[in-house]
Amino acid sequence: MNFVELVNKVNEKFPGKVINSYEKFGSRFIVVDRGSFKDILRSLKYDFGFDYLVDIVATHWPKRKEKFDVVYNLFTVKDKFRIFVKVAIEDDKIESVVDIWKGANFLEREQYDLVGVKFEGHPDLRRILLPEFFDGHPLRKDYPLKGRKWFNNADEQNLGLKFSR
Amino acid sequence: MSISAKDNLSEIITVNMGPQHPSTHGVLRLVVDLDGETIVGVRPDIGFLHRGVEKLAEHRTYHQFIPLTDRLDYLSPLSNNLAYCLAVEKFFNVKIPERAEYLRVIFAELARCASHLLWIATHALDIGAMTVFLYAFRERELILDMFEIATGQRMTSSWIRVGGIREDVPPLFIERLKEFVNIFDERINTYERLLTKNRIWLKRTVGVGKISREDAIDYGVSGPIMRGSGVNFDLRRDEPYGIYDRFNFEVAVEDGCDIYARYLVRVKEMREANKILKQALEQLPEGPVMTDDPRVQIPPHEEVYEKMEALIRRFYIITKGFAAPKGEAYACVEAPKGELGFYIVSDGDSKPYRLKIRAPSFVNLGALETMAKGHMVADLVGIIGSIDIVLGEIDR
Repeated sequence: MNFVELVNKVNEKFPGKVINSYEKFGSRFIVVDRGSFKDILRSLKYDFGFDYLVDIVATHWPKRKEKFDVVYNLFTVKDKFRIFVKVAIEDDKIESVVDIWKGANFLEREQYDLVGVKFEGHPDLRRILLPEFFDGHPLRKDYPLKGRKWFNNADEQNLGLKFSR
Repeated sequence: MSISAKDNLSEIITVNMGPQHPSTHGVLRLVVDLDGETIVGVRPDIGFLHRGVEKLAEHRTYHQFIPLTDRLDYLSPLSNNLAYCLAVEKFFNVKIPERAEYLRVIFAELARCASHLLWIATHALDIGAMTVFLYAFRERELILDMFEIATGQRMTSSWIRVGGIREDVPPLFIERLKEFVNIFDERINTYERLLTKNRIWLKRTVGVGKISREDAIDYGVSGPIMRGSGVNFDLRRDEPYGIYDRFNFEVAVEDGCDIYARYLVRVKEMREANKILKQALEQLPEGPVMTDDPRVQIPPHEEVYEKMEALIRRFYIITKGFAAPKGEAYACVEAPKGELGFYIVSDGDSKPYRLKIRAPSFVNLGALETMAKGHMVADLVGIIGSIDIVLGEIDR
C-alpha cells in the first residue's frame, strides 16, 4: 500500500474532507474534517482494511481555537500499514467509534478520564483509572502537576462518615 | 428434600474478586456476575496503581523519563526502555552504533524470556501445577543475574539511552549468555514435558477463554493472545525496528483461540527468542555503544575529565536536556505482552508536550469479558492468567 495513493483514494471518496496529509518522523498523518471524520474512519475500516485500532490519543491545546486534537492510530493486519488520522475539535465533544471498533471502549474511556474529551454515543462513558469522585482531568494543560487535594467525598459506601482536615 | 424451580435458582449473583486476590497478579478488581457458577458478565475495575506517568512525563526532560518507563511493565523493563528510546530517536533520526543495536536486541529478547518464564511459572501455579514454578524461576534467575552483571539492577534496569545504551557489557555477561543459550532449549523441553501433554493442564486450558480471530482484531488485542487466535502478526517481522530484519526467526501462530494456544505461542516464542539470541551472539561486532551525534549524546566520562567542551555539553544535556523538533513521533515494539507504543507530541521544547503510552495489557484487558462469558468462575483465574496482565502497565 502506498500512502499517496491511499490519500488520493480517500480524497476521491470524500471530496474536500481531507484537509492535509503529511509524513514526518516516520509517521503518516491524515488530517480530516471534523464533520465527516466518522464516515471516513468507517470507510477506512471496511473499504481500505484498517481493521486494527491501535490507539486513541487526545491532546489539549488551550491556546488554539481548536482546543483538542484526537488522533486515531490505525493498522492493517493484512497489508501491515500504519496511518494516523487526526481530527481537531473546538469544544470537548466528539462522536464515539465504539460501534466501528469494539476495542475503542477502553481507549475512549481512558481519554475521557485523563483528558476530558467526551465521546458521544459511547455505551459506558465513566472514569476508568481515577476514582469516580475525582475532580478535573489531569492531562489538561491547566491542571497543576503538584498540589494537595482533600477528597471530602471519599465516603464511597455512604456510611455517613464525615472527614475533615 | 429436593431443589425445585421455586428456589430462585436463576438469580444472578454479583461477586467481587480482588483487588487483593492472589491470582489477579496485582491490584486488579473484577466485579463478576454469576448465574450459578457460570459467568455472565465481568467488569474490570482498574486504577489502583495509577501514578500519573503520562502527566509526569510532561514535566521531565527526555532522558529523565527513562527510569519511569521501567515501572510500567516491571517484568520486562528493557523492552519499555527500548520502545521509549526508539520513539525519541524518531525525532532526531540518529544513527545507532552497530554494537548497541545488537545489545538492544539481546536485552529485549532476554526480557521476553524472563517475562514469559514468569508467566509460565505463575500461570501454572494458578492452575495447580507447582513444579513448573520452581523450574521456571531457576532459569529466570539466570537472566536476572545477567541483567545485574550488565546493568547493576535485576528489575528496574533503565539501561537503554537515547542514542545507544549506557555502557558496554562486561566480558562476564557474554560468557554467561553463551552458557544460557546453550542450556535454554533443553530447559524449555523440561517445561513442555511437564505441561504440554499433562492431562490436568489440557482439561483446564483447552477450549477455555476463547476469542475468535475477528474479535481479537476488533478488540485490538496484541501479542500472544492475537497470535493464539490465528492472526499472523508480529511487529518484529512486519514493521521491523532496530535491526530485527537481519535475524531469522519464525512467528509463533496457533489457531486454537484458547488458553492452550496462548501457552503454545509463548513457549514457541521463547524458543525463537533463543534462536535470535544465538544469532545476535554470533554476529555481535566490536565498537562503541553510544552514538556520537552531539544533539542527543551524553558525553562519556573519559571525555568529560579531559575536555572542557564535553564537560559543558554533559552538564547542559543533564540539566536542561535536548529539545526535540515540533511534531509527533510514534514507535512501537513487540513487547512480551503485545504491542507497546509510545506516542510523543513535541512543541519544540526539551520536554514532551504530550506522551501517550499504548500499553498492551490495558487493551488486552478490554477483551476479558468476551473471553470469560459462559465459562465457570474457576476458569476466570486461568483466563486472567492467560492475558498475562501487569498492573503497572495498565494503570500507569
